[in-house]
Amino acid sequence: MKLLAMMLLLIGVSGLALAQVRTPEIDPGSAGSAIALLSGALLVIRANRKK
Amino acid sequence: MGDTEQSPGVSTLSEPLITGSLPGSSNKHGITRIPFFPLGLPHRLILFALLFAAEWSPITRWVHKGHGGGALLQVAIAFSSLLLALSYFRSKDAFQRLSNDVRKTPIRWGLLALHLVALAAFLGLSAISSGNITFAYAITALWFATGAAAIVLAGWALVPSALALEFVRTTGYAWVYALGAAILAWRAVVSTALWNGAVWNPAIDLSWKPATDLTFNLVKGLLHLFLSQVVADRATMTIGSPKFSVIILPWCAGFEGTALMLVFSVAWLAYFRREFRFPHALMLVPAGMVVIWLANALRITALILIGVAGAPQVAEGGFHSQAGWIAFNCVALSFAILTRHMPWFASDRLGSYRVAADAPAIHNPTAAYLTPFLAILAAAMISRAASGGFEWLYPLRFVAAAAMLWFFRSKYRELDWRFGGFSVMAGGAVFGLWLGLDFMAGAHSSSTLAAGLATLPGPARITWLVFRTIAAVVTVPMAEELAFRGFLIRRLTSADFESLSPRHFTYVAVLVSSVAFGLLHGDRWLAGTLAGLIYAVAFLRRGRIGDAVVAHATTNALLAACVLLGGKWDLW
Repeated sequence: MKLLAMMLLLIGVSGLALAQVRTPEIDPGSAGSAIALLSGALLVIRANRKK
Repeated sequence: MGDTEQSPGVSTLSEPLITGSLPGSSNKHGITRIPFFPLGLPHRLILFALLFAAEWSPITRWVHKGHGGGALLQVAIAFSSLLLALSYFRSKDAFQRLSNDVRKTPIRWGLLALHLVALAAFLGLSAISSGNITFAYAITALWFATGAAAIVLAGWALVPSALALEFVRTTGYAWVYALGAAILAWRAVVSTALWNGAVWNPAIDLSWKPATDLTFNLVKGLLHLFLSQVVADRATMTIGSPKFSVIILPWCAGFEGTALMLVFSVAWLAYFRREFRFPHALMLVPAGMVVIWLANALRITALILIGVAGAPQVAEGGFHSQAGWIAFNCVALSFAILTRHMPWFASDRLGSYRVAADAPAIHNPTAAYLTPFLAILAAAMISRAASGGFEWLYPLRFVAAAAMLWFFRSKYRELDWRFGGFSVMAGGAVFGLWLGLDFMAGAHSSSTLAAGLATLPGPARITWLVFRTIAAVVTVPMAEELAFRGFLIRRLTSADFESLSPRHFTYVAVLVSSVAFGLLHGDRWLAGTLAGLIYAVAFLRRGRIGDAVVAHATTNALLAACVLLGGKWDLW
């Protein structure tokens, strides 16, 4: 749940900061899959730790 | 995987929990009944924020035509986040106690229904315009009243008013600081005009100049390592070679990545603070920011080199949009992995985890469920980054997913891959729904795919289509169903998801996993969400992953048939 909250925070920050950018360094259009990839990878790492 | 005791608030599809049960009430067998949605204060606030965003965004876009709503939404998000953070750290015990009280209170659906009524009235009043001034004032007053009532009713439905007031009291003056900071942050964003894609503002440039200059110099130095002739005009911030050059704009100078890394590293250290040694670990925050800044300079250098090498479309297209996220993901993941392998930063308590952390991934159940899907996402980022429009490297997605499915094959033998006729019908229903919603939404662009395929020689075109079809019908359904239905629904239901029966779930888990599934489908988020719900029903009906995979595969096979036989390229 901590991880989920953290990802929501990241999405919020990136959404707030990056909305309507024309030439992005971090493309808002790819934010969904990029954050999903990062969240999933972190879940896998943390799950390995909790075993 | 065997069945275990049912977790609190968990239902099975055939035996739903009685929704009217009282908090903490017990029956004659001494079994404690938990409310239907045992959600604490943070979860309810997240639900409220999601509800607010889901309603406000379309209202702003389609009813108010982009005027006014965005600013309120930005201030609301910033205010809520700051208030939560400040109040949590100010009075953690009171926050925890209130959260437990809220957990015992059911969501009041009647108030949510009234919220919808107030929202409908608000929308109706938005459409009224009048030349009569008195009448216009009355309409405006009613408009504000119904809007405020809609917000209050939604909040009241999720958090009882007495507990909400107590929450506000425990925060002291935190709300004043949070509101002030949120308004200041919003004004700063508006006045700098940088994040709004507005025109260049010379009055503001001065504050960005040193940072942009630093990136410019870094890129220039890196380019000298690879190019004999470097064009670098500091006045216009143009840099490259005579053949291909780019302009480094202020918002491309590394600020976004640095800001994201700042948020990520601070949040990571705060959430997992028991695992770190302070103040040593605080050094990781600036270190992470410096690394992502350097990564951005490398990104721009690589972009220029790709353009110089003769692929300007790739440089300006896929690479430009994907490289930033690839860099951020790499740096953030490295941060998370390396911090636990550096004894100087890690707390002594971390020692007990190390043996398990170094265990092979094949023993990690989360990895078995998520890795094929993550492999598809990673491969998609790479293949898009290598594309100028048409994603010619799409087969990489198939290969990556197939490799991961093969790697974890022994784990998958434990799952139930049987399926029934219902799953085929469910897949067909999703196909119909998908086409229907597509028809209602209007045509999606298909020119890139069709035009890209037309440029390929015959054998390459056939190979690409074969991989695309097999991926759609085999690897994508397996990877996505393992991740969203096999893992996410159960993980959101219970932390010990593997010991939970596949038929046990909470409605929130099903809804959240379906919405997440829908959001990954871009413009088709609504169709994706409904598809996720139907696949979830197929999965939970008998608790068999095979049912969900076959339902998903049926939909994708029918869509592939439409594309290949009917030429409807927009469906891909």
